[in-house]
Amino acid sequence: MSGNSSSRLSGFDRRAFMACAAGSALVPMTARAGALDAPAPVAQDPALHVEITLRVNGQDKRLSLDPRTTVLDALREHLKLTGSKKGCDHGQCGACTVLIGERRVVSCLTLALAAEGQEITTIEGLATGDQLHPMQQAFIDNDAFQCGYCTPGQIMSAVACVKEGHASSDADIREYMSGNICRCAAYPNIVAAMKQAAPEITKG
Amino acid sequence: MNAAAPEPKANMGQPVPRYDAVAKVAGRATYGSDMPLDNPAYAFLVTSAIARGRINGFDLDDAKRVRGVIDIITHENAPDLKESKLFSNGGYAGTTIQPLKSADIAHDGEIVAVVIAESYEAAREAANRVKVSYTAATPSASFDSPGTTKAAAKGQNAQFKEDPQVGDFAKAFDEAEVKVDAAYETPTQHHNPMELFSTSCVWMGDDLVIYEPSQYVYGLKNGVAEQLGIDADKVRVVNPYVGGGFGSRGSMTPRTAIIAGIAKRLNRPIKLVPTRDQGFTIATYRAETRHAIKLGANRDGKLVALRHEGVEVSSRADPYCVGGTKTTTRLYACPNVDSLVSIVRADRNTPGFMRSPPEVPYMFALESAMDELAVKLDMDPIELRRVNDTTNEPIGGKPYTSRSLMGCFDEAAKAFGWSQRSAAPKSMSDGDWLIGYGCAATCYPTQMAPSAARVRLQRDGRTRVEIAGHEIGTGAYTVIAQTAAERLGVPLEQVAVFIGDSDLPPGPVAGGSNSTASTCSAVMMVCDQIRQRMFKAMMPRQSLTDKAKETVGIGRTPTMQAAKSDRTLDLERAFDALGVGVIEEYGEWKPEGAPPDSFKAMHSGHARLVGGAAMKDKIAYAFGAEFVEVRVNRFTHEIRAPRLVGAFAAGRIMNPRTARSQLMGGLIWGMSSALLEATEIDQRTARYVNDNLADYLVPVSADVPGVEVILLSEQDDHINPAGAKGLGELANVGTNAAICNAIYHATGQRIRKLPVRLENIEV
Ligand code: FES
Ligand code: FES
Repeated sequence: MSGNSSSRLSGFDRRAFMACAAGSALVPMTARAGALDAPAPVAQDPALHVEITLRVNGQDKRLSLDPRTTVLDALREHLKLTGSKKGCDHGQCGACTVLIGERRVVSCLTLALAAEGQEITTIEGLATGDQLHPMQQAFIDNDAFQCGYCTPGQIMSAVACVKEGHASSDADIREYMSGNICRCAAYPNIVAAMKQAAPEITKG
Repeated sequence: MNAAAPEPKANMGQPVPRYDAVAKVAGRATYGSDMPLDNPAYAFLVTSAIARGRINGFDLDDAKRVRGVIDIITHENAPDLKESKLFSNGGYAGTTIQPLKSADIAHDGEIVAVVIAESYEAAREAANRVKVSYTAATPSASFDSPGTTKAAAKGQNAQFKEDPQVGDFAKAFDEAEVKVDAAYETPTQHHNPMELFSTSCVWMGDDLVIYEPSQYVYGLKNGVAEQLGIDADKVRVVNPYVGGGFGSRGSMTPRTAIIAGIAKRLNRPIKLVPTRDQGFTIATYRAETRHAIKLGANRDGKLVALRHEGVEVSSRADPYCVGGTKTTTRLYACPNVDSLVSIVRADRNTPGFMRSPPEVPYMFALESAMDELAVKLDMDPIELRRVNDTTNEPIGGKPYTSRSLMGCFDEAAKAFGWSQRSAAPKSMSDGDWLIGYGCAATCYPTQMAPSAARVRLQRDGRTRVEIAGHEIGTGAYTVIAQTAAERLGVPLEQVAVFIGDSDLPPGPVAGGSNSTASTCSAVMMVCDQIRQRMFKAMMPRQSLTDKAKETVGIGRTPTMQAAKSDRTLDLERAFDALGVGVIEEYGEWKPEGAPPDSFKAMHSGHARLVGGAAMKDKIAYAFGAEFVEVRVNRFTHEIRAPRLVGAFAAGRIMNPRTARSQLMGGLIWGMSSALLEATEIDQRTARYVNDNLADYLVPVSADVPGVEVILLSEQDDHINPAGAKGLGELANVGTNAAICNAIYHATGQRIRKLPVRLENIEV
């Protein structure tokens, strides 16, 4: 075997490709980029930033972003909101879970442009001042984490899971929380934490 | 109290919530790639598409045209880095394969280029446009590939010191009344900690700061300095929180010095966040292993002969091995023992430590074989362990410092309901589900390493503890704070702990379950130094007897165990007597039997773990027993493990809450090592195929319905001042065997190769 073979492209599995495809379809609709200068061999020119406003934790944030920027990277690299974590960038682990409106979404597979005009809630926006959200307190009480890296995603997912009505039994919780990987395997404690917090959340 | 905070038994600390709990649930815990950088450039890796061969050249035109690209580094223009020796052979590195050094390719997924750009998006785009031309040779992927070489581990890996032997195995096996002769196999596995293998490098003049998840900041600091050819005092590694380690971050990977070198050249902070799939090849992993076990026993179950041969895969470059025979040849009483560990070299990245490195594969083989023996003897597997239980290990006859193996079996059996088991295979079922019960022993060596600590006490009782330990999820902050509070007798809320920074006093590698024993022993010693200073100032004429040292506490929290002072000290008066504003003490602790160069090695980032089977006139292990219920569907062959029960004894339990969580996670890891995890290798290309979290199966919540952890009270005064044996790696040992033993019970089919998939079941 000799000759040319391409380098090993990173992360180009089918799922990522579909995400990219969706991304390029979105860009022309929402981007407010300037006119293309000079014939560019590269289709997506990172210099062509777009101005967008993201509403994060109740505040409007003006940003100038590469149109390929995900919500996760916008939060982490541009807004210094590093609570949301990158565990795979492929929608496979849930570490990046945030709420967009009432829905839990993996922010690594959501383009920032697609989230404009919607309410984004991150782990940093869950507490009320110094008062932890009941789910945060329940995670502490039940020791529902070890390294803590998956925890912001688990908590955001857990809050949404309860509101969806998918926390009525242990089996339900386990099934509907299985998109959030915890490599430390704190799962039984996460289930216990959700059972503690669920009544408070549903009545509040 | 809820299940997460078990009531402490004798010789257990309080189950206080984690020190870092609020930071972690509020998203304020800052991991390596969370650190704010001033105007960083972003790096993206390009990795090789072949496992063996040479790079002919690069076509970078397309990549360079991506707007925002700053530089593309290949072996043709890479920073000049010095080599570092393998961690197992006295160096810092997890691999001696140094990418970007030449055109040669040693394994699939080796770093061949680094793209630096103004944004992450531009760096990724350009990396995908880098074209590499190779001349590829046929690689050897694993055990059975042509072109591999095989040799004994002893003599090539400095950490593997002996192939334990005693008596006359061949004769005893020959004459044994009952025999087991079986081969077992465990797969390649990757740690996959949730935090990616990121690194950020920031230079300030000649000083380098590295933000990177590490289980050994002193090793990384010294290793990177060595590679860059600069003074180690110029390098600082900072990581107050690590998003999981499991062994993957104990030794230095090549990425760090590469990124540091590029950052220096560009005079700009660089942030690298590799992808999940790159993590499979730019760091280490658990290599596949093969085992041949021979057991000979008398009719009454007593072992008369035991032989364990292990074969492991490593890279062409490095003689890495885990060599678990030091444990498996010593667990049970047996007068005739033989063993051999060999290494097969293939075209792979170098493997490394993964949670319970030797014991997960080696105990799978032994504890499966023990179950096979129990079946042949028609004996209850618990009773077989009891018959072969021992107070002294059989190789050198050294006594175990403490050994609660059978206590663990009895407690776990009771909680599990083992007495409900009908012994015959295929005799229990529930509708379409065949039910199997299985059990196995676990053990893990008690290890310790030299550690320093600095403790500062203020007049108002506020205390600051500094130690370059690591919070990888174990509860390091918490148990260190508890130790200082108890020893000084100050309230826990007054104690601040600083770890994860190589500018702090050196701590040990967070590996081999040594951290708690080592760091807490150091903190205890330094707290005692403070107490002695105060005692001397307050009672200058008193002789400083050991009794007094023991009993003089500061007495702010009389309920605390350590404040059993018969004379409490008034803090204000002690400070007045001393005439100082704060008391600060630094100290260096080393375990019994530590080599003479221990403290020097501690500062230069060389781990010097002692303990386990390597102690002079004793042997120290933590023990446990694990029971599982499996259910195998008669028709679909789906396998579930609805119940995992483990009982463990590990000396002093510093905090039953963090201990339980770690053991619970371990049990789930153990289940996973039997039923889920395997890195699939394409034999033609020596490439990992399922290198992502959708295809590499790790447990999710739905996989673990029921886990129960039982902590046994155990006191051991012969190991270290903290009295702790360590338990991070205890619970995921033996679980894989317990699962296969349960599958045998459910189906009558013995499975000797992991992982067990439904297609392997032939009900
Ligand atoms: S980082 Fe988004 S799902 Fe893993
Ligand atoms: S707490 Fe470590 S990954 Fe969940």
